[in-house]
Amino acid sequence: MNHRNLVKGLFLIAIALAFGLSSLRYPMGNFGRAGPGLFPMLVSSLLFVLGATAVVRSLVTERVPINFNLRNIAIIVGSLCGFAVVSEYVNMMAGIVVLVFGATLAGATYSVVRNVKVAAGLIAVAFAFQKLLGLQLPLY
Amino acid sequence: MDIIHNLAFGFEHALTLQNLMFCAVGCVVGTLIGLLPGLGPLATISLLLPLTYSIPVNGALIMLAGIYYGAQYGDSVSAITMKIPHASSIVACIDGYQMTLKGQTGLALFTAGVSSFIGGTVAIVVLASLAPALGEVALLFGPADYCALMMLGFVCVSFVTTGSLLNGLAMCLVGVLLGQVGTDVNSGAQRFTLNLPFLTDGIGLVSIALGCFGIAEITKNLDNRDERSPFSGKIHLMPTWAEFKRIIPSALRGSVIGSFLGILPGGGPSIAQFAAYAVDKKVSKYRHQIGTGVIEGVAGQAAADEAAARTSFIPLMSIGIPENAVMALMMAAFIIKGIQPGPNMIAGHADLFWGLVASMWIGNCFLLVLNVPLVRYWLSVFKIPYAVLFPSILFFCCVGTFSVNNSLEDVLITAAFGCVGYTFLRLELDPAPLMLGFILGPMLEENFRRALLLSRGSFTTFVTRPISGTLFGLIALFVVWQLTAFVLQAQRARPAA
Repeated sequence: MNHRNLVKGLFLIAIALAFGLSSLRYPMGNFGRAGPGLFPMLVSSLLFVLGATAVVRSLVTERVPINFNLRNIAIIVGSLCGFAVVSEYVNMMAGIVVLVFGATLAGATYSVVRNVKVAAGLIAVAFAFQKLLGLQLPLY
Repeated sequence: MDIIHNLAFGFEHALTLQNLMFCAVGCVVGTLIGLLPGLGPLATISLLLPLTYSIPVNGALIMLAGIYYGAQYGDSVSAITMKIPHASSIVACIDGYQMTLKGQTGLALFTAGVSSFIGGTVAIVVLASLAPALGEVALLFGPADYCALMMLGFVCVSFVTTGSLLNGLAMCLVGVLLGQVGTDVNSGAQRFTLNLPFLTDGIGLVSIALGCFGIAEITKNLDNRDERSPFSGKIHLMPTWAEFKRIIPSALRGSVIGSFLGILPGGGPSIAQFAAYAVDKKVSKYRHQIGTGVIEGVAGQAAADEAAARTSFIPLMSIGIPENAVMALMMAAFIIKGIQPGPNMIAGHADLFWGLVASMWIGNCFLLVLNVPLVRYWLSVFKIPYAVLFPSILFFCCVGTFSVNNSLEDVLITAAFGCVGYTFLRLELDPAPLMLGFILGPMLEENFRRALLLSRGSFTTFVTRPISGTLFGLIALFVVWQLTAFVLQAQRARPAA
């Protein structure tokens, strides 16, 4: 995982294959009367070529390590999903609390008192959005 | 005389109390959000898009334009005071930050404000006189020509934003593929939906924008963990007359350069600022001091920045093709409001078009009278600790994506794109071309299929039509130039290794 340019190329190839292979399931048609699968197929082939070029190029260039901090992105994405799920099944006020207390785990410092204040402030903002701007937030 | 008549017509529509309020709110909120580290114009616009949903069309577009200019000014403020640049304010970091180090923050901010005003004013004259004429040319465009124009846009944007044709073009194509998700308009087939019902309408634009720009950027900032010392100096705003006189020539040069570069495909603020700075370094009276923190180093690029931001509306409004990622987002906002930008917009929604042009200038005035004097208060945003700021931004991202369709599934999609966007950032793949690809993707496919249908499947139509032939010729030249540059570079590197 410590070769950024190689991983970049492989990542692009993976995207190209994911879209390209699934576009084979749709009718292709011909160029005069294109089916739904034709255009995605062409674009993913082009992307595959670019990805392969990136891989070849990475073999002659210097290795650069990837700075990938899995912990932070996992915490942020997890708390966003928590927000969505809790808002769906309980209400959005609880969702905001989950979001604030979850996401701040990724910060440099953690303070429960501060989180309570932030959550309370955001709930107030959410009510303002609902009443003043007419956004339909399922707050309660 | 036509222009004056039309502009007067536009001011008539834009100058209502309500619209002025929307414009002011847009400018202020845009500046505040644009100041925040990691949030450039793209993230700011997508974050604030939901604010405009409940507003009538005219007001909403005026507010969006205000948000855009506000965000740009906010960017240059954060670049000058703290050396935190975004794509549109990289150059402002050089001399602007040097001026801050010399204790001339106020002068730098004033220069940036006044120069943007000059740049914006020049650009609006260009916009008002050029857009309708270009709109008539656009009526000559056939499907093949549109394809060629979009491809040229991809190539130029890739080169400008990432400096590497390969990376940028790859991201454009990823965007095009993401734009394929959903129902195919021609056949009604469901493509790439993974049998998930909420994907049948495609992936939401706001989800992608906030995922890739908002959430991914926040996480990247969290990784760095360096405590930025907030700027806390005194600001002395008013310049002396001698200083003021130095602003004008640079700003005018920048305005002309910016107006021109803003129109070209792939152009816009990110390239115009470099060009203006380079020209000032060649011709300015104080050219030997540029780089050490002088007025000319700030004025020219700020004017070019603003002018290019305005004139990049020209291709969008006259041809209907956005030329960079910010314009693509603007186009999406127009479409949400039920307006298809393009040749028919100027004719069919004249009040809207001229109103928007007029409101651009009104937004400029607001920036000058509101933001420049009040900038010291805006800067207090930086006193908010990041631990309070980032959960709040996340919350606004959630509200933003939720209120597009009132759907919590969209929040999940945003979270997924946060993950993807973070991976892109870590792999040094710029997500801005992806936005352009995503929005142009469906248009590209439609025109591609239509062009081939008309030519009965023959690809010669792309080269035999004069417009598309010329454009594809330009693309070929560009690719060849890039290839030779790469080969030469590799050859030069070999003997050294």
